[in-house]
Order: sequence, then structure tokens, then C-alpha cells
Amino acid sequence: MERRNFFKLVGTASGAAVTGACGKASRELIPLLVPEKEIVPGEEMWHPGVCRECEAGCGVIVRVMEAERQVETAEGKVRERIAAVKKIEGNPLDSVSGGRLCARGQAAVQSLYHPDRLRGPLARTGKRGEAGFTPVSWEEALDRAASLLRKVGDPSRIIWLGRPLSGTRSATVASFLAALGAPQAATAGVCDHTIERKAADAAFGWSGLPVYELQDADFALGLGADFLGGWVSPVFYSRRFGHMRQGRPGRRGRLVHAESRFSVTAAAADEWLPVRPGGEHALALALGYTLVTEKLARRAEATSRLSDAFASTDFQRAAEIAGLPAERIRDVARRLGAAEHAVVVAGASIAQANSLDAVVAGCALNWLLGAVNRRGGVRPPAAPADTRPAFDDVLSRLKSAELVFLDGANPAYALPASVELLAATPSVVSFSAFLDDSAAFADLILPDHSWLESEAAAMPPVSPGVALAGAPAFIRPLHGTRRTEETLDALAKALGKPIDVETPARVFERLYESAKPAGDWENAADFASFCQRQGGWWEEPAAPVTSPARELSSLPPVNEAEFTGDPSAFPLYFQPYPSTQFGDGSGANLPWMQELPDPVSSAMWGLPLEVDLGTARALGVLNGDIVRVVSPRGQLEAPVYVHPAARPGVASMAIGQGHEHYTRYASGRGANPLTIAVPVPVKGCGVFAFGATRIRLEKTGRRGGLVQFSTTDRAPEARRT
Amino acid sequence: MSTQEESQSDAKKTPRWGMTIDLDRCTGCGACVAACHAENNLPLSTPESAATGRAFHWIRIDRYYEGEFPDIKLKYMPVLCQHCDQAPCEPVCPVYATYQTPDGLNAQVYNRCVGTRYCGNNCPYSVRFFNWFDPVWPEPLDLQLNPDVSIRPDGVMEKCTFCVQRIKRARLEAARESRPVADGEIQPACAQACPAEAIVFGDLNDADSKVSRLAGSARATRLLEELGTEPKVIYLSRLS
Repeated sequence: MERRNFFKLVGTASGAAVTGACGKASRELIPLLVPEKEIVPGEEMWHPGVCRECEAGCGVIVRVMEAERQVETAEGKVRERIAAVKKIEGNPLDSVSGGRLCARGQAAVQSLYHPDRLRGPLARTGKRGEAGFTPVSWEEALDRAASLLRKVGDPSRIIWLGRPLSGTRSATVASFLAALGAPQAATAGVCDHTIERKAADAAFGWSGLPVYELQDADFALGLGADFLGGWVSPVFYSRRFGHMRQGRPGRRGRLVHAESRFSVTAAAADEWLPVRPGGEHALALALGYTLVTEKLARRAEATSRLSDAFASTDFQRAAEIAGLPAERIRDVARRLGAAEHAVVVAGASIAQANSLDAVVAGCALNWLLGAVNRRGGVRPPAAPADTRPAFDDVLSRLKSAELVFLDGANPAYALPASVELLAATPSVVSFSAFLDDSAAFADLILPDHSWLESEAAAMPPVSPGVALAGAPAFIRPLHGTRRTEETLDALAKALGKPIDVETPARVFERLYESAKPAGDWENAADFASFCQRQGGWWEEPAAPVTSPARELSSLPPVNEAEFTGDPSAFPLYFQPYPSTQFGDGSGANLPWMQELPDPVSSAMWGLPLEVDLGTARALGVLNGDIVRVVSPRGQLEAPVYVHPAARPGVASMAIGQGHEHYTRYASGRGANPLTIAVPVPVKGCGVFAFGATRIRLEKTGRRGGLVQFSTTDRAPEARRT
Repeated sequence: MSTQEESQSDAKKTPRWGMTIDLDRCTGCGACVAACHAENNLPLSTPESAATGRAFHWIRIDRYYEGEFPDIKLKYMPVLCQHCDQAPCEPVCPVYATYQTPDGLNAQVYNRCVGTRYCGNNCPYSVRFFNWFDPVWPEPLDLQLNPDVSIRPDGVMEKCTFCVQRIKRARLEAARESRPVADGEIQPACAQACPAEAIVFGDLNDADSKVSRLAGSARATRLLEELGTEPKVIYLSRLS
């Protein structure tokens, strides 16, 4: 949607035109809740919002129209007119989405109207994990929750497990935890990007995630970051990728991607470097070695200590660990060094034991290339300080927990080793809108609204300039749920410990007071009103910072990643990975995501184990044959997909299926690959290295479970096996 | 004005809707597929119906592997109804349920369709879907349904319409404001969602439209054009 059309549509919604940044919007014009009596059949209204399906924080616009629903009353079923969400699009004003939206964002409306959404608070009746619950009133639920909190002897043993979001929710949660004297919120997922944040701090001295300027790059090297798949902000980076490829007439940027599996980014790349699992660090060192020794590094003198560190690499050994021909590495390094605008996008889509070293070394290549703070290179995060929750030694903290709050985190799925710990925790309170694997262990479920029913403001982790997307609520809640911020406020009041409940209006008012944005606004309230009407506030990219906070001077020497499992008994590397459609598994409850053909295998309603042709041949299996996947930690069964582009010796499996509890569409479907991954920590940070396990495959002789929409990739060789 | 000039003038006024898909931008992410479901009330599949080949995707992402490991490439190609000028599906319909509209859409009249499935059989692109059963949306999933798009009952064939409801809405609005539809004003759901901005929709009769300029690219190609179907979906080939 074009920007002019969006303004027009918003104008339609509120009955007044919005004409630009200097318009004098007043509070009365904010499209708050749509009263049902004002809905005109057939007329559409568009309202801004912030997508919260993942942490990218894309600004969206939501189409609202009249609908009818059936409600139960004492007199029987009656039909009621309501304002209903019909479609979600990217907000064209938003600097992250730019009017575009990914599949998960499109499907968020199914989360709102999901038939298995929780209708109100639930209290546990059966044993922990059995998912036996009975409905209770909000008054009783809050009394019980307050009582659980009063029982806590040591507030430092309260653990809040949430999502890595920054904005009104995290600010309110922080205030609540501070009032209780509890530690800060943490995350427990596999898409938290804790490794990348730590690496950015180590390599650049930046707090938050680096922003890669792909759109102006001539040559980009992806190093372990599936940035077109599910890494950090897929819409943002897809837009930039599209521009790099075909947005500049006569100038097409090239992408080379190094990853152990053939990801969405690898498929889109001009070249794929099938690096051995855990070999990204060695590859980065070997590239740096070539850049320095062949005098291709633009800033070798300015970064002499770093150059020395790269130059001390044992190149042959590094190439061997990376599993790539030495000449190919040199060739990529030479092209990196020759490009006018080259950038290395370093990340850990699949966490290995040495991923922190790998991402730091990948970031360090940008120093050599002179790409730091440069057009077409890498820039610091626009937000001044990143305070969102991070993964922090969750398993050991759970061991001593007295009370666990679950706010969007699903540790029983993402961190299966936490299941026993959750079962043994004295009290568990969940705010989940669905009965998921972890909520099944809760004593109380106090269901949150859908994000489409809530007001919120959020700061995206990557954006061109300072960005703050936010909007008020615009439809009434469908069920008897409650916004978690309100629940926390009520709980805090019951405990006599008042908290600050953050609202989008307050956030924008504070932004006005602190940044004094240019424009014709009478006061902070006027500015906040304008921002909420257009769905946020986005600033142009700041001028490059010429003096970065910290320049890296040393690097960990070349090392091999550690894997659990004796190679003789477990010959294959096992690489679970966050999927495009399900992310960390949280999208699996949505039917549109279940039936969206997987980009790799075209599988629907299930996810296969991806194996290479040689492995399939040796085992004597075809697409759809079920194999037993055995690791030192356990085993699972999954159908095989014979992947023509899988690296020999590497078996991959998308994360998403295998939920014990997660609505009718995901419960009991397929297998969770994380259940057989041994929970070893990533060296240097407490994150779970879910790609550090070896496996073996056993043929079961059975078939089934692989439903493919398209089978055009079935190579003749695959059939012959 | 001569008859020929009038005819040319009318041709200029009547749009000929077409689409370009830049395969050098496409990442195969599937946003277009989900956006199409959300816009067009596609029936939900189940694991069982999907296993019997009855899942509906008006737009799908085909995958083509080229080469062998390690020098292997995977090329994605979104495939939807090609809205052919010489559509093989049209002459075989015994009840004229599928026909060419004046603005070049390959339309499907649901009320007229009697479900012979000849059109699906004759389509070389496999983009037509037959409703073997009435669609079901467990309450309250049905609240999401787009009121601008008909629900197709069992016994009816369906396929991509280029989001004709969006075209009509934009043309009505332009007519109300006594102005022509601006280039880029109409975007099918797939084009609007595409994060890599690979899909462009517009009037092929307007030489200045973005879609016309892209269709004239040296990278432009059409799917199975050797069959003489004259598709109005133009692919811009990938350069690697």
C-alpha cells in the first residue's frame, strides 16, 4: 500500500484527514475502540498496530469491518454485531516493515480468532503437566496469584520468563519485578539472539543488535545468519536484500552465504558455502587471514592489533575445520576485499558451542573491511540502549525457583530439560493465551489479550533510525481475557506495591520530552496523539558515528566446536533450526502456518528430517520413510526428506512441531527436535547450543507423515535410493 | 476520429492487468501464500485433505534445484493463475463459467460453475482447485473471512483472481473521484505482502506503468509460453 493511500484510509477511519508530520492532530481524533454502532456494513477501517508474532516489531495496519458472532446468553444463542479484524498489512510508514509483512504476521489474525484460545482464567485441578484446569473468575484468580506471591520467601527466586521484546510490556514487567524485589525478566527461547547481542558488545561496544546496510552493499557475506529466513527481522532484511539485488539500476549486489544447512538465505544467495557445523568461526578467521596477508583489508593499519590477531591464524587448519577448500575461501576473501561496499552479516541461527566466538570473528571482519559505521556496511542499533530480556542461565535458576511467571515463553518446548524443573517448582503462573506445553505446568493461567486487542508500543531491535511503533487498542476483547499489564497492576495493588503501567501515550510523550522531535506540535500530548494515529514514530538514520565505543583488539584462536556424542556411535551432525513459518515453534498453533508449504521440503502439517542423498542411499530410505533419530539424550521418529542440497553428514530438522499441548492444530503433531538435543551451553554465554549434538539414524521400515504440496524437487537420484 | 483511432483510444482506456515477479528478488519465504489465504477466504486444509492433494494454494512456490552438492542452487518460482490471453481453461468450460474479462482477467463465475473440472484438467500450470467439500472454519475463525470475497461451496472450481475485489474497489473509488486509477494503486494481496518487493501489479496497456517497464526487461520471460497461452504473469529471471 502506498503511503498516500494509508493516510487516506486512516482518515476514513477517524472521519478526519491526516495530512503529514506537521498536522495538528488532537486526542479526539485518535481511533480508539471502534463502537459497534458506528460500524457501517461493507465499509473498511484501517488502524495501526505493532506485530508481536516475533521480536522484529513490524508496524502494521489492520483492516476492521463489521462481523457477527454468536454469543451464549441466558436466553440462548444470539448473534451480536462486532468490529472484527479482517486483514493485516505492513504499515507503509513504518521504517522496518515499509508496508510489507511476512507469513507469520499475515496469520496473526488466526491467533485472535483461534477456536482454542483461552476464554478466561484457569486454575489447575490435576497433576502438574497433565493440563487439567477449571475456569475461575478473575477475582478468584487474582486472589490465588497474590496468595502464591505472598508465599515466596526469597523474591530473588522469582523468575519471569518472557520474550525479548522492548516496549510497554517489558517496561511494565520491569516495574512489577522491581516492586517485588525480583530479578529482571529473562528469555528461554531459541530465537532470542542473545549470542548476537553479546558479540556486538564484544566486537563493537554496541548495546543491541547491529544493523546491516545490505541495500547499499555491493558484496555481502552471510555467516551463520539466516537473515532472509527467521533471523532477527526477516521483513526488514528481505526488503534490503531485494533492493541490493534489483533496486539500483545497473548495480546488482552479490550475496555469498556460509551456513551448515541450505537455508532460505543460502537458497537466495549467489553462492552457498556449505560450512561444517561449528566451522563458521574458523571460516571467519581464514577469511580475515587472507584479507590481512594479501593486504586486502582496507583498515589494516587502523586495526593493527586485530589484523595481527587474524594474521596469526593457522589458515590450513582453519580451512580444514570450516570444511571448505582453501582456494574457495581465498576467492571469497579477495572478492570481499575488492568490493567497494562489502559487509559481513554474522549471526547464529543455529547455536553451536563456539557460536559467540564465530559471531565476534564475523563482526570483526567488518572492521578489516572498513564496513563499520559506513554506508553499505554495518551500523550501531538506533536505540540508545537495549534493555530487552535476554537468555540468562535459565536452567540453573529454575532449579532454585520458588515462583515462575511465563509470559510468552514456552520453556517446556524450547528447553526440554526444564520440564522436570517446572514440575518441581512450587508455583507457576502463566499469562499464555493458549494452553501450551509450559502452561500445562501452571497452577494458574491468567490469559493475556491477543496483541490485536491490546494497546502497545515496541521498539524494534533493528531499524534504520530510531523507531518506536505503537498504537491504542481498536477492537474490544473477544473473550474474558485481560491485558497482562492490567493483571500485573491489579496484583501489585493487592500486594500493596503499586507499579507503573506503561502505555503507548506515555512512551510517546516521554519521547517528545527527551528528543524534542521537529514538528508543529503544541505539546507532548499532541505529539503522542499524532504518533498513535500513524502507528509510531520513525526517525531518519542518524549520521554515522565516527568514534565507536570500542574496537576489538583480540580474537579467540581457531577452535573446533564441541559436539556431544561419540562420532563412531553417532556419525551425523544434528542441526535443529528455527523455521520460517513457525519461528521458535510459537507459530505452530495457526492453521495457515501448518498448511504453508515449508520452503525447503514443501511439507505441510508436519516437518521432516532433512538428510543428504548419500545418507539416504546408505540407509536405504526415500522421501516419507520414517526413521528413528537417536542422540545421546534420547530419540524421536520423523519422516525423511532427501534434501538435494544437504551437506553430507548433516541432518537438519526445523523447529515447530512436536508440541504436547498447543491447540488442536499443533498438539501431538510430529516431533520436537529440541528434545534430543543435549543442552550444552554456548561458550561465553549461558545460551543453549541446540546445534551441538550428534545423532544416528535407524530405519523403521514404516512410511508416512510427510505431506508435500509440491514435489518438483524430487531428483531422480532421490527416487533411485 | 476514425474507427481505428477510437478503437485504439478505447484500448488505452481499458486496462489489461498483468503482473511481474522478479525471481532475483524472491526469497521463497511464503508471505505471498499466507497473504492470499488471508485475503481470499481459501478453505482450510486438514492433514488428511492435504495428504490427498486437496490443499488449496492459489499461489504456490515451486522449487527447482540445479546442479549437485556442493555447487547446487535452489530457484524459487511463485506460480499462480497466469491469466492467459489464450487461456486453455476457457474454451473447455461447457457453461462459460471461466472467461476472459474485458480488462484481461481470467475470471471464474462460481454461480455458473457446474464442476466438470475440465478447466483444471486443461490448465498447464495446475493452479485451479476444486472444492470437493464445503469449506469449514471452526468458530470463531470465520470472523476473519473477507466479506468482499465469495465463499465457494462444494462442486465449484476456484483459482487466483488477481484479487479482483481490490481492483473493483479501486476502480469504483477512482470513478467516484472522477480520476483514473493511479499506477500502483491496486495491489493484489501477494504483491502487497512480498517483503522483497518482488511482485509488481499493474496495467500492461499503460506503457508508463511500472509493470509495463519491467515486462520490457531483458530478463522477462513467461512460463510455458511455448504453449501459446500468452500469460500475463511475466517472470524476471534470476541472475545467478
